[in-house]
Amino acid sequence: MTPLLLAEGSNAALVTFAIYTLAVFGIAALSNQLLKSKSFMSEYFLGSRSLGVWAFALTFAATSSSGGSFTGFPAKIYTHGWILALWIGSYMVVPICTMGLIGKRLNQVARLSGAITVPDVLRDRFNSQKFGLMAVVLIVFFMSFNLVAQFKAGALILKVLLADVQVFNDFSVTVAGWTADMPFFGSDAKYLVCLIFFGVAVIAYTTYGGFHAVVWTDVMQGVVMVFGVLILLPLAIYAVGGLESATQEMSRMTTPRRGYATVAVDDASTAPPQLDKDDWLKLEAASGTRVFRVATPFAVPSDATEIHAVSLLEITTPQEVERILAGSVPADFVDGISVSEFQQPDEDFGSVTIIPPASVEESTFRRGDVLNVTGGAVTSPKSFVVAADTQFASGDAEVTVPAIVAAEGRYPTGQNYSDLQATAVSLQSVSYVYGDGQPGVYLTGPGPSATDSVGFLSLSVAISFFFMWAISGTGQPSNMVRLMAFNNSRTLKRAIFTVAIYYSLIYLPLVVIFCCARVLVPGLETEPDRIMPEIAVYLTGNVGAAWLGGLLIAAPFAAVMSTVDSFLLMISSAMVRDIYQRNINPDAKEQTIKRLSYLCTLLVGSIAMIVAVNPPQFLQDIIVYVGSGLAACFLAPTIFLLYWPRANEQGSIIGMLSGFSAHLAMYATGMFVNGSFFRPYRLFEFDPIIIGLTVSFAVTYFATLATAPPSEDLVRKYFYRKKA
Amino acid sequence: MSASPETGNEQYELDPVFLNSRREAKVIFGVWFLCAIWAVPVSYLLGYNQTVTPGSVETVLGIPKWTFWGLFLPWLVADVITTAFCFKFLKEDDLGHADDEDGPAETAAASQEDAQ
Repeated sequence: MTPLLLAEGSNAALVTFAIYTLAVFGIAALSNQLLKSKSFMSEYFLGSRSLGVWAFALTFAATSSSGGSFTGFPAKIYTHGWILALWIGSYMVVPICTMGLIGKRLNQVARLSGAITVPDVLRDRFNSQKFGLMAVVLIVFFMSFNLVAQFKAGALILKVLLADVQVFNDFSVTVAGWTADMPFFGSDAKYLVCLIFFGVAVIAYTTYGGFHAVVWTDVMQGVVMVFGVLILLPLAIYAVGGLESATQEMSRMTTPRRGYATVAVDDASTAPPQLDKDDWLKLEAASGTRVFRVATPFAVPSDATEIHAVSLLEITTPQEVERILAGSVPADFVDGISVSEFQQPDEDFGSVTIIPPASVEESTFRRGDVLNVTGGAVTSPKSFVVAADTQFASGDAEVTVPAIVAAEGRYPTGQNYSDLQATAVSLQSVSYVYGDGQPGVYLTGPGPSATDSVGFLSLSVAISFFFMWAISGTGQPSNMVRLMAFNNSRTLKRAIFTVAIYYSLIYLPLVVIFCCARVLVPGLETEPDRIMPEIAVYLTGNVGAAWLGGLLIAAPFAAVMSTVDSFLLMISSAMVRDIYQRNINPDAKEQTIKRLSYLCTLLVGSIAMIVAVNPPQFLQDIIVYVGSGLAACFLAPTIFLLYWPRANEQGSIIGMLSGFSAHLAMYATGMFVNGSFFRPYRLFEFDPIIIGLTVSFAVTYFATLATAPPSEDLVRKYFYRKKA
Repeated sequence: MSASPETGNEQYELDPVFLNSRREAKVIFGVWFLCAIWAVPVSYLLGYNQTVTPGSVETVLGIPKWTFWGLFLPWLVADVITTAFCFKFLKEDDLGHADDEDGPAETAAASQEDAQ
């Protein structure tokens, strides 16, 4: 991609971001006016149950489409190909399932009891304080994890959007100077700056405006998302020369290969001081020119003639290499540096997390250093060669170092560190474990996989996902609270129709766009999360409308913002309504509730932002764990309490706990069987969500039958009405 | 509890919102099941473990054949069913009125609008 295009796109991104932020604050101010004229609690947390079709449909759709829809999902399409159409396939019935299965009945039950939050509904349905408090604890537990993960996602997306904006880069350098002596703030000043911008904006408008601000910004964000996709679709198909052409081109593609190279500095005067991720390099061989992208950034010392153990990604499809060399794909090769030797190690690569040595002179592991690990997560002593410079402080609990398990003596090495203890080792094979060297693998199932020998989407996993999106989506408290907020059943039926059309316009076109992106922008497997902004800037630049790129790349930012604000409000409502007002001070004055609501939203958001300064790894894994865990806890009890007059407090509590435990057990077993909490054990090859839901439904049913029936008053209140 | 309990002189009947919602939920679950047994098996039979001749793959409208028959077409059918469900099957029930809502006059107006 040319620097000019990038610069134009980035300035447009900055302008878009500024306009967007101003609009969000404007909406919050309008929403705050509404708070003055209505019951504060109901308006702040539930919008006074007054949502009409567009507001209800778009807030539902935008909250469900988190940042993952515009970063993780495109990255998966890019990495695994057409099989993602099946992975996302159940979205064809997600609107009718998630809104229709419980929507009307939940809304009615919430009105009957005057419930404002999801725990309110559960508590009032059985007059059970215990059940309500348990729901609060589970919501706060899961949502807090998710909130931190979503803050991190928002900051990362903003960082990508502003990557080439000069003002942002200059400011980040200044911030890096301020925080140099404060290890808490980490070494990535750009991330820190983005996190603060993102966090302050979301916390401020959510705190000030409440539910209506969240809903109206969701509407705006939903419109940005669908227009973004609908503009990208024809541009992508046009750029690739038609969809038929893209599909045939993909049928020739083979997976890239990771490996380690020695690069030669051919001309020190033109060589850059640093090679960044995705820079292009060539190797001139007798058999022809080979093409690589840098997988891990590295510095080029001014006196170096050769640099060893450089991590690269090789493009393996001959037709792609031809197009790159012919200049029909945007690829600027680095001047003054070429690859002299590329080899794929026999063993694995990845990262090792170790406890830093107690006393060290340097606070950096340098590329080529050898880490001899003798205990902890390794079963036998193992040596790792450091693949990228990694800083640490001697007081750090642990440090994760990119590393290769290379044969002894393969590379010239640096310092030797002995007797280290590893807390985690994450390794993968150099070649794709499934699909390596197979043309057509991007077109057919199960799709290529770098880590899974049965491919990306085996049949059992495909079934699990068909179950997961549609059925478990129904059990998300963030969806349920929206189902309590629409104004009447006519709104519900129009909204289901609207969301069905909305998802059809988003998800299928995304699959087409990012399959085209595979052809248009090759070799981005090193950082596939960047494909959305890359393709937006590339396609709009192609038709001379770089300003449009800025608008399009606001879509993922909008998506993550609309998810974060909803989660933030759910947690604060759980604290103010479900804990304070219903358990501590039922007679609290409205003014007290108001102050407490503002304070809680502000505090919860600020704490999540502070934790996200040093966020946990495994972002996408946390999001999946939380989503499926909430469904395993809430879906079965909710379905039974809405549709089964015999449902009772005891059965629902036991069912909720057993769903939570069964789901957690799959993840905990994964720690022992697969070596990581986030690589869960798959009983009969099914995802943990299937196990959690099955156990939860079965236990709720049998435990209910085994315990006393509910009181007649409760059954009459929720299932009967007076005869006319 | 009987289907029509009595309390004092008052007689009760099962709430029609509950009955309609339960009936609609069963249909929705059927729609999900129908889509699942179309999309997953067709995609698997036509799209998994196939030998591909590079450059001459069978497509429909530029989309790989398995994706079209296994996903694009059922997606279209699901949209048609969803539309029919919303406008022909889903009942416009009165969901009642909560104490924290706007005044009864406004709710009555909304109910009247629903009934029309």
